[in-house]
Amino acid sequence: MARLVGVFASSHAPLLARAWESVDASRRERISGTFAELGRRFSESRPDIVLVVSPDHWVNFFLSNLPSFCIGVGDAHDGPPEPWLKGVPYRSIAGHTGFALHLARSAFSKGFDPSLSHRLELDHGFIIPLWKMAIHPLPALVPLIVNSIEPPMPSARRCLAWGELIRVAIESYPEDSRIAVLATGGLSHSIGEHDMGRIDEDFDRECIEQFRSGDPEALLAFLDRRMESAGNGAAEVRNWLLAHGAARAQGFELIGYHPYPEWYVGCGFAAWALHGGAKVANAS
Amino acid sequence: MRDYWLSKLFFDLQSPEAAARYLAGRDAVLERYPLKPEVRRAVQEEDVATLAPLVNPYLLRFFFLAIGKSEAWFLERIRATGSAAGKEVSGG
Repeated sequence: MARLVGVFASSHAPLLARAWESVDASRRERISGTFAELGRRFSESRPDIVLVVSPDHWVNFFLSNLPSFCIGVGDAHDGPPEPWLKGVPYRSIAGHTGFALHLARSAFSKGFDPSLSHRLELDHGFIIPLWKMAIHPLPALVPLIVNSIEPPMPSARRCLAWGELIRVAIESYPEDSRIAVLATGGLSHSIGEHDMGRIDEDFDRECIEQFRSGDPEALLAFLDRRMESAGNGAAEVRNWLLAHGAARAQGFELIGYHPYPEWYVGCGFAAWALHGGAKVANAS
Repeated sequence: MRDYWLSKLFFDLQSPEAAARYLAGRDAVLERYPLKPEVRRAVQEEDVATLAPLVNPYLLRFFFLAIGKSEAWFLERIRATGSAAGKEVSGG
C-alpha cells in the first residue's frame, strides 16, 4: 500500500521570480535558507508522487467553467505559461494517472465531487515552490486545483475535509508508493485590490499559531472570521487546510515566515510531522 | 457582479501574442468583444477605478501589466479606489 511520507506548504509569490533582486541580499539569503530547508525535508521524504494543491491563476479555467476542485488525472502536464518563468526547468511534467484516478474515485465514493482534467498547464502556483526548493527532477506530480481566486469559494471546513480525504486515498492506494503533499499559496496578500501590497502580519501570525495549536475548530473559526479581511490572496490558506487535514491536524511546524513588502506577500513555509491519530473537524 | 466580456478580454490578453495585437490595434481587438459602451470607454481610457469592480482583481492587474503599464502606475490608481464597491465581489 501507498503511504504518506511528507506534508509541506509554501508560498508562491510571483515576485520571487519576477523581482528577486528587489529584496535586499540579507533577506534573500534568509528566504533562500527557508526554501533550502523545505527542499531538504521534501527530498528526504523521497516521494514517488507529489500531490500539489494550488489555485489556478486564470490559466486553465475562466468564468465559463470554474471548478471548485479539479484533479489533474493526465499522465503529463504542461509547465508554466507565464513568460517570466520560461527559464524554469519544468516544461513537460509527468503526472500519475493511477493515483490521480484513485483520488478521484475515493472522492466520489465519499460525497466529494471534483472535476477532472486530463491535461493542465501548471502555473507559478505549482512551480515556484518546487523550483525554489530545487526539486529536480520532479517526482510524478498530481495537481489538485482549489478555487481560491474567484468567489464564491469552498468553505474552510470543506477544504479541511478534503485533507482527510487525501489521507484516506493515499493510505488506500494499493501500489507501493511514497506520496507527499505540497500545498502552495498564502499567507496574507492583496493583489489588484485597493489595498494591494498590504501584508496582514497579525493575521499571518495568528494563522500560524492556529495551525500549530492542532485545534481544528478554533482554526476554522479563526479563518471564517479573518481570512477575507487579510487580502484576496489569503484565500489560498485554503490549500494549507488540505495539507493540514492530510496531516490530521497535527504536527505543524513553521519553517519560515518572511513578510516582504517588496513581494506583496506574507510568505509562509511549513512542514507537518506525521502522526496517525485523527483530530479533524466534522466535514460538512 | 462580473462583466463577462470584459473579463474575457482581460483573460485573453494574458497571451503575449494577443497583448501585442491589442497594442498594435486596440479598437480592432475590442470589436470582437460585445462590451457595453461605458465599459469599452473605460478600457480605452484605462480607467482603473471604473474597471475594478467589474472584473476579478487578478485579471485587472494582468491587463494593465499586459498593456505595458508600470507597477507604480497601477498601484497609484488601484490604491486610489479606496474601499470601492467592488470589494463586495472581490474579497476572499
